[in-house]
Amino acid sequence: MMNMSTRAQERPPGGVLQINGLCKSFGGIHAVKDISFTVNRGEIVGLIGPNGAGKTTCFNLITGFYAPTSGTVHFDEQEVTGEKPYSMARRGIVRSFQKTNILKTLSVFENVLTGHYIEARQPVWKTFFPTAAVRRTEAAVRDSAARIVNTIGLSRHMNVPAAQLSCGELRLLEVALALAAKPRILMLDEPAAGLNSHEAREFGNVLRKLIGDLVDSILIVEHNMGLVMSVSDRVVVMHFGQKLAEGTPEQVQKNEKVVQAYLGANAKEHS
Amino acid sequence: MKIQRTCLSAFMLLAAALPFIVSDQYILHVAIIVMFYAVLATSLNLVVGYVGEFSLGHTAFLGTGAYAAALLSTQAGWPMWATIPAAGVCAAVMGTLIGAITLRLHGPFFVIITLSFSEVLRLIANNWVAVTKGPMGIAGVPQPAFLAQIDTLAGKHFYYAIAWSLLALALYLAYRFVNSNAGRAAVAIRENRYVAQSVGIRPLNYSMMALVLGAFLSGAAGGFYAHYISFVGPEMFRFAFMVTMITMVLIGGKGTLIGPLVGALLVTFLEEYLREAQELRLSLFGLIVIAIVLFMPNGIMGFVSRHREKREQNQASPLNMNVSATNRRSA
Repeated sequence: MMNMSTRAQERPPGGVLQINGLCKSFGGIHAVKDISFTVNRGEIVGLIGPNGAGKTTCFNLITGFYAPTSGTVHFDEQEVTGEKPYSMARRGIVRSFQKTNILKTLSVFENVLTGHYIEARQPVWKTFFPTAAVRRTEAAVRDSAARIVNTIGLSRHMNVPAAQLSCGELRLLEVALALAAKPRILMLDEPAAGLNSHEAREFGNVLRKLIGDLVDSILIVEHNMGLVMSVSDRVVVMHFGQKLAEGTPEQVQKNEKVVQAYLGANAKEHS
Repeated sequence: MKIQRTCLSAFMLLAAALPFIVSDQYILHVAIIVMFYAVLATSLNLVVGYVGEFSLGHTAFLGTGAYAAALLSTQAGWPMWATIPAAGVCAAVMGTLIGAITLRLHGPFFVIITLSFSEVLRLIANNWVAVTKGPMGIAGVPQPAFLAQIDTLAGKHFYYAIAWSLLALALYLAYRFVNSNAGRAAVAIRENRYVAQSVGIRPLNYSMMALVLGAFLSGAAGGFYAHYISFVGPEMFRFAFMVTMITMVLIGGKGTLIGPLVGALLVTFLEEYLREAQELRLSLFGLIVIAIVLFMPNGIMGFVSRHREKREQNQASPLNMNVSATNRRSA
């Protein structure tokens, strides 16, 4: 735990992730149009919007799974636009996926252990002739994996194959796997889908604990409004690929355009 | 991991003891062939079991190694201790070339292109008469000179020792690879490419590493084979070798280290046992492979380890199970 928290404290304050005028079109469809926002250190930012608003596309653009049509992504004041996913991860931008993506045949522990790839990386020859340093790293990585499994609350299932977990547990494992890569900014795509309200609350508490300890900031896409509004410091609302509003959860909830987008133009009259 | 290590060491110790117990040349020959095939199956397993792509072109590396060793010893006069490692290196270079092209493909495309590469190499070996002597092959690959002075049993022992060392090297390298960060990365790529990338793994690096390691091992095995049989022809690239290797990996269990050993043992003995019934033998193997793929998709080792897991789960205290069951329900 020690080295992780000092790691987080060494960073200078300020904007960690800056998105500027990000656009992506597939043929004639503008999936994401001129999106700009910033994620600061120590913040949890919620990214919400009706289905098809372009949230996941936005995630894919930031993490390099798609190349943006135009616009820039800055991480730590360095431009990282269009870099490959693995190099984004090495910089400290790690994401989870909307459709659960884990290593199904491996156990929970092995999943999280595999996530420590960057930390345990070695030159090729050391793979075959491990030195004492390699063995130490391996031991440290195993400790860390066990700790992350505990933090996320899956210790009961440490050695259970991932394929046997329940839906809610899978979502947790996905977060644990992302955490294993020691991200500075953790990007979660609908992590609470399939969780019941109690589990979602628990999950929100876990996220709060991560900030400043395991990660610098969190960017979260989520449809569970209770969760988003309770954990987020700021919320960015997207609609038809464009940014509709940005502000604290209270501001966003009162924003008329947001209410319209979610409930329809006449919602006010009926209520 | 512990069990795996114990099994592998036990197997190698048994294999080391065999020549002191048995003095039948035929059995020693079969044992040498078993170990040769075990190296091949282990190397193929690195690709099929750990990269997760089905390579039908592994004979490309076997043949490259065999021809490299044959040419280096007949043309350049290199001694055997130099040709076998050189054969491995040549095959690894070939692996790098082929891998750089094929590993960008997946599924059926990978299967077809790898198969084409080994066919292309077979055609080259068949037609480049100036170097490979074409279909006649390279006969009389020299054996170490001192073998002429000792009796044939001692000669068999000598080759047995080399085959044993090759297998030990193959298992050591494969074991290190599989139980390292690199091996975990390869498995992550096999299981889920997107997850692998999202935690910082560059897919091509590790599929390449597994393929080149596999190529090196099968190349060295090919070099050994060239000296042992003292003949190399274009049939080294033929599909028959490929079928044998695949059968071994599938029967034994892909994605485990012990599986290919078990497969090599079973298949080689079956082949020897059914030697008289050539046609029947192939049909029988076909049926066995179909049965394995249908009923034990992870081979014998996968079957064994699943049974062990089940037993362990049943032995867990019933109270514990109830707790987890109720928790599961509330989830």
